[in-house]
Amino acid sequence: MGNKSSLMLQEQDIKDIQEETGFLPGQIERLYSRFTSLDKGDNGSLSREDFLRIPELAINPLGDRIVHAFFKESEDDHVNFRQFVRVLAHFRPIKHNQENNLNAREEKLRFAFKMYDLDDDERISREELLAVLHMMVGENISDEQLNSIAERTILEADTDGDQMISFEEFCAALERSDVEQKMSIKFLK
Amino acid sequence: MKCVLLFICVVALVSPRCVALPNTPTEAHNIVPTDTHNVTPTESHNMAPTESHNMAKTITLNASSAHDNLSGDSSRLTGKNDTHDLLNDGQGAEGGHGGGGGHHGVGERYPVIVVHWERVQTPFIICVWIMYACFGKLGFHLTPKLSHVFPESCMLVLLGIAIGVVLYFAHAATINPFTADVFFLYLIPPIVLDAGYFMPNRLFFDHLGTILVYAVLGTIWNSLTIGVSMYAVGLTGIFGTSVPILHMFLFSSLISAVDPVAVLAVFEELHVDEVLYILVFGESLLNDAVTVVLYNMFAGYSTMGLDNVQVVDIFSGILSFILVSLGGTAIGIVWGFLTAFVTRFTRGVRVIEPIFVFVMAYLAYLNAEIFHLSGLLSITFCGITMKNYVEQNISDKSQTTIKHAMKMLASSSETVIFMFLGVSTVQSSHEWDTWFVMLTIIFCSLYRILGVWLLTAMCNRYRVKKIEFVDKFILSYGGIRGAVAFALVLTIDPQQIPMQPIFLTATMAMVYFTVFLQGITIKPLTIMLGVKKAVERTLTMNERLHERSFDYITAGIEDVAARHGNLLFRKKFKRLNHKYLTPFLVHKNNVMEPKFIETFSNIKMQEAINYMENNDSASNDTKSFTNLLRNAVTHPYLQKNNQGEWNLDVGELEYKRGMKDIDDAKLNHLLSIDYIARRRHQSLTYLRHAVKDDEWKTRNEAMHRNMYLYSRKFTSNTRKQSTRKRVENGEPGQPVAGDGRESFRKIGSDIKLESDYMDHVMAENPAFVDDEGVVTYTRDMPSSSRKRSSHTTVAEAILPWKRYHGCDAPESARDVKRKFSVIPDGGNVIQTMTEVSLPWKRTDNSDQPVQQTEFPAWASNKEYLLYHSPSNTLLGSLGKHESYPNIREIFGRRSSSGASVTAHRDSLKDSLSFAKDNTSGTSLQDKFPSRNSLNESTLYTASLLVPDLSLNMRRHSHTGEHSLLNTTIKEEEGRRDAVIEVIPDREQTRM
Repeated sequence: MGNKSSLMLQEQDIKDIQEETGFLPGQIERLYSRFTSLDKGDNGSLSREDFLRIPELAINPLGDRIVHAFFKESEDDHVNFRQFVRVLAHFRPIKHNQENNLNAREEKLRFAFKMYDLDDDERISREELLAVLHMMVGENISDEQLNSIAERTILEADTDGDQMISFEEFCAALERSDVEQKMSIKFLK
Repeated sequence: MKCVLLFICVVALVSPRCVALPNTPTEAHNIVPTDTHNVTPTESHNMAPTESHNMAKTITLNASSAHDNLSGDSSRLTGKNDTHDLLNDGQGAEGGHGGGGGHHGVGERYPVIVVHWERVQTPFIICVWIMYACFGKLGFHLTPKLSHVFPESCMLVLLGIAIGVVLYFAHAATINPFTADVFFLYLIPPIVLDAGYFMPNRLFFDHLGTILVYAVLGTIWNSLTIGVSMYAVGLTGIFGTSVPILHMFLFSSLISAVDPVAVLAVFEELHVDEVLYILVFGESLLNDAVTVVLYNMFAGYSTMGLDNVQVVDIFSGILSFILVSLGGTAIGIVWGFLTAFVTRFTRGVRVIEPIFVFVMAYLAYLNAEIFHLSGLLSITFCGITMKNYVEQNISDKSQTTIKHAMKMLASSSETVIFMFLGVSTVQSSHEWDTWFVMLTIIFCSLYRILGVWLLTAMCNRYRVKKIEFVDKFILSYGGIRGAVAFALVLTIDPQQIPMQPIFLTATMAMVYFTVFLQGITIKPLTIMLGVKKAVERTLTMNERLHERSFDYITAGIEDVAARHGNLLFRKKFKRLNHKYLTPFLVHKNNVMEPKFIETFSNIKMQEAINYMENNDSASNDTKSFTNLLRNAVTHPYLQKNNQGEWNLDVGELEYKRGMKDIDDAKLNHLLSIDYIARRRHQSLTYLRHAVKDDEWKTRNEAMHRNMYLYSRKFTSNTRKQSTRKRVENGEPGQPVAGDGRESFRKIGSDIKLESDYMDHVMAENPAFVDDEGVVTYTRDMPSSSRKRSSHTTVAEAILPWKRYHGCDAPESARDVKRKFSVIPDGGNVIQTMTEVSLPWKRTDNSDQPVQQTEFPAWASNKEYLLYHSPSNTLLGSLGKHESYPNIREIFGRRSSSGASVTAHRDSLKDSLSFAKDNTSGTSLQDKFPSRNSLNESTLYTASLLVPDLSLNMRRHSHTGEHSLLNTTIKEEEGRRDAVIEVIPDREQTRM
């Protein structure tokens, strides 16, 4: 698989992707082989089914949303390698020397924000928050409790009083948390 | 419990040792009889003649105490004559006769007072020790200058030295309670249990890899390099005698271990960044296994002799390391689960919960020690494992007890350890070898630094967050040696290893060097180097929630990228835990993310407490006359009782209750529904061991409950009244009250209202007493509300959200609602007292706004309006959705639309029938063509009426807040749906 993938991936592509995402060539090749192994249809793009075939992702409470995030940019329901890598690039660890706008703190936060914001209005409404809460907490909890948790969360973050969490409010609420570290993955070279 | 254990055992060990050191058998048992039998008589025999009278007495007393402890004839049989004589002597002296030994048994009168010192001597001495130590600690904290410069451990060691010196010159030089067994069996377990139980689990497991690298590889690296270097230097003959390499390794293995006690003592005061802290601390905890194994290994090799050591032995050494560490961990985890399981059933007997935690953790330790596995690992992991489950099982009080007892034990253990260390310094037999000591210190520091640098470089390859230079420095500088090394060096048998005194001295020097020099300088250094400090923070709900979702996101992306890290195991464990472990070990509801609820209720609790603290005197606030007036006017009780008189006397207007209502209601919102203690059965009060903490846990809990009941009663009264009013005049506003009732019934508040407590409160509270001094609102109030629960009321039927099953789609909920704000009364109207009494009513001028009667006083209060209430309470159910007016607006509109109310009173029945036909939407619209204009004038009129209120209108009320409408629909339709639909009426605008 590895052989094949490096064959299919042009030298120029690697350079472009490296330019865009900041991944090293080795990492890109590794990701490409992952990409092709996910691509069961062998058509150079991933469908939602391809993603959901990943067993761990299927049981991830946010799995669906994560997969959805990959399809944000594509018009048809397929993700090509470029888009695939670009999404993953959000999770590169931040380093001092290399500046890249894809993995900046704000981008990471935005990615997380999009997990909630389904209707793309740049705001997390109470319902959207509740939906995510439901996914994460599961059953065995009363709706009242969940409701009040959601309510509380919004109340806490909501500074302009519109009963929603805008992206700015979201960032402000998470000012103290170590997003850089929490939303980073060590990609192997 | 453990304290008692500690007592008994230290008694057992100290009493013989008081006279038996320095050559106590290292394999001393904690079984009292054997020990005492063997040691006491001979020792006392040996020493008595040589010591001063005083000392002799002590020894005698001690011997006799030992005998007494045994309460055995056997000891008297084995005891020599000498001892008997001395014993008698001592007893005679005690008796106040001061003389020799002749008083034994013959012709004694019955003494008025008997001094029986020897009986209590050992526990007494131990207590005095601990007391001294605590005094030292206390004094240290009372001198801020000292504590600023020195870490506590330094001071305690110094105090120990001072005491040691005193004892030395008092010729009590042989009193040395510090032995390896005392240390390992009684002193260190509390400290480690404390460390394990309060371990920040997440942090620990996130960095487990790095910690293990430091703990295992680092310790091995240190032992080997120090051993080899020391041996190489030793070859030059600089130490006088040649030291065999195995002895050197033995020494290096014990000296290379970073000591958890010392590290904790220093780093707890430092408050460095949590990651750095967990690295140093985790290393010091986990390297115990390595140290013990290495130590035992080399001790074994030493006895075997270098020539006999074969490759097989080395392999068995490695194997034994794996066994010792994993075995210890496994035993700890098993005991941890056991503890969790046991506490699942302790709901009836809360008092024994802490005992289980302590004893079972200690058993885990001892259990591991039986098999020579790592007890420290065992108890650490026992603590880590049990914590999460136990905390869910046990009561809050037990939790507090455990917390405090654990901290207390750990802290006193730590204190005693450092004191004993100081005392031992004076009392041990030392052999100073300058080169040896110097080289030990140099090599230890050097290889520590080198090791940290190397291992960090290794770890950083795999870490997302790199360990930076400053961290590395603190890591290597924090390699503080302590009592573990000292206890280990004490166990070396000088017969076998002649270098033992030198080792002892060198270890001492190393301990002192690290504890004092590094301990003192590390604080200024952290400041100088700008080491990141830990930020004290309590998680906000946002942080808790979003950080957890970060985890899921990152884990998901890891899955996609096929890069499985920490998070994968985390998630897997979480699922396993959720599916199998938690249901088995915890009696409570099993929720996937219990931390959410925990954080949530913590925040709520804190807020409620703050609120109560800040608002205790709030009810005495004086407000403007307008305020008073409005409160009085809008207060439903007052209106009813006024007997037609419009009383403007400020003195008679009970403003207080209005405020109280507000307070209560506010508080009720602060406390979520789930926070109310569920009362199952009243436990008997006379049970001696019953801790009644289930329902009325603390003052706060009780307060919450009272408030809860109170506000429930309050809302229910409001409800009842509004129901009656509706029958009378069909005023708008029922939607609110009616739906509020709906949601209350759901949580079963009706039952609560029956409590005697409420009656009591009602009777006492002037707010509920009418003019004749009769309690107005008792629970037997005539009310149709109960009956009405089964069928929908008229008002409910016309409510748009109750009509959701209707045939024709309501053109919009908002419109319908608007219509109902102008519903006219029915034909057979009995005017309420208020209506009659109010001036604008009496004029019969329909242009005058009607006074709102359904709403309690707090509803019109600006403070309350500023508060965003959760949805499941009455206030929350007042429509606050973006497309709906908030309370304020409802009020405004209502009071103005009252005009039309009076005008169209006779058409209520019509409208009701419309409502039932689900056609009310259109037909009503036809009936009230002038509605829009009315509504437009609403706010204006309202602001005229209550000017100060409108100023305080919430300006942002037009968006976002979910409405009653929303929640109701959701509850009815989507209750079982996992995903809540966004109800698509957001495009509607408010008026």
